[in-house]
Amino acid sequence: MLALSPGVTPKWSRRMLEVLSDAWLIARKDLAIEFRTRSAFLSAVVFALLAIVIFFFAWDATAVAAIDLAPGVLWVIFTFSGLLGMHRSFGVEQPDRAIDGLIAAPIARESIFLGKAIASLVFVLAIQVIAIPAVGIFYNLPLGPVAGELALIAILAAIGLVAVGTLFSAMAVNTRLAELLLPMLALPFFVPIVIPAAQATAKVMSARPVGDAFAWLKLLVAFDIVFVVACTLAYPFTLEE
Amino acid sequence: MPHNESYYYAAYAVATGIYVAYAVLLLVRWNRVKARLPGKDE
Amino acid sequence: MKPTPLTIAALIAVVVAYIRAIFFTPLEAIQGPAQKILYIHAPAAWVAFMAFGLVAITSALYLWLREDRLDRIAESSAEVGVVFTTVVLTTGPIWGKPIWGAYWTWDARLTLTLFLWFIYVAYLVMRGAVDDHAMRARYSAVLGILGALLIPFIHLSVYLFRTLHPKPILIKPSAPSMPGEMLTTLLLAFAAFTLLYVALLRARYRYAVTRDGANPAEEHRAA
Repeated sequence: MLALSPGVTPKWSRRMLEVLSDAWLIARKDLAIEFRTRSAFLSAVVFALLAIVIFFFAWDATAVAAIDLAPGVLWVIFTFSGLLGMHRSFGVEQPDRAIDGLIAAPIARESIFLGKAIASLVFVLAIQVIAIPAVGIFYNLPLGPVAGELALIAILAAIGLVAVGTLFSAMAVNTRLAELLLPMLALPFFVPIVIPAAQATAKVMSARPVGDAFAWLKLLVAFDIVFVVACTLAYPFTLEE
Repeated sequence: MPHNESYYYAAYAVATGIYVAYAVLLLVRWNRVKARLPGKDE
Repeated sequence: MKPTPLTIAALIAVVVAYIRAIFFTPLEAIQGPAQKILYIHAPAAWVAFMAFGLVAITSALYLWLREDRLDRIAESSAEVGVVFTTVVLTTGPIWGKPIWGAYWTWDARLTLTLFLWFIYVAYLVMRGAVDDHAMRARYSAVLGILGALLIPFIHLSVYLFRTLHPKPILIKPSAPSMPGEMLTTLLLAFAAFTLLYVALLRARYRYAVTRDGANPAEEHRAA
């Protein structure tokens, strides 16, 4: 098995740790940039709150119960505000072609991808941490008891969203129609994340047993595994030889 | 038997129209590209 | 552009299929004349997915071999594929209205085809937005492969959704065992539209070769 002492640790696992620690460095850099300006995050939060308000006034409260509306509202918010963050992910490297510096650095190209994905993951999780309680408050829903289940669904879905979104951000940013292309590429891929997530959220909010949502969670995990691997492997192919 | 011939005709018309429109598009684009290359024959 | 034997054969096959479907195939008692839409809807669906399969395969091969020919085949199959997918998505609802009572019912196969259409469109729009040939080919190849990975997940999501939310239908679409004459027409239609796909693919490919100013001898592809 794995002993971490240098003499015994297999080369591949040391390599993996290297890739991950380089990725973390890049994630920290991106998060530091975002933290300094906070512009994308604030736009996303404002969008989320606005969506919550609009949806409230757009539906007939006597015909549709808040608990039926809430999962849809939440997942629309996460999808679109997530896109805001992910557009920024490679967008910040555009001025002065800063991306060239990253590529030239002595780090694996996968690290660049993973680092940016991790930064976007933090971004999306931060939105979720704000939006979920906001929905609970504004729609008067008791989300406290199911907070753990909601968190699990939210994290699993966020992983899928950022894996796909980060890859397409890397590609879209080099095209002429970047703002149009990122949603156009990403949204079809978001659907097999959002359907299970919204369905599981609905089940959990109605205080159904977790078992009901189990099939959806399995689908989310499968998607995450397949697409985190696929997108990480695909990223180097988007760069020049 | 239900009388839904209009749907039947509409579907065949729409499908055929789409294929024909695409074939026309291919021809138009082909001619445009040929016009740029005077040397080739065919 | 002089028509090739392939093009002529394809056109004849399609015309024969149409004639047989319209004049020489019996009407179905329960669904009525609208049932005949099957003979253009189902073959188009088969081609739509097969065309994407070719996009996916050539995408993977391109990333491995970096042959421009592969990128041109992918591009051509995507464009022809989106045409057939559009036919599926238009004939489907036209068939659905008299049979199911609604133009759209989130039927599993039609929904999957809708997503195929989205992927195709994203693929083509992206190609249009990248000027550098090498980058365009690389990006397209990545999207082609990821799109193929996406299809089973969309299918699973919709299938799971439907098994947990069954929808009533007014008339059950054609049963698995069709009368001999109808089956023959259907198979003929599949063959004819597959031939049409190949003819259109080749025409589109030749256009791409000419557009790119590639060596005409290069267009001799094995297939």
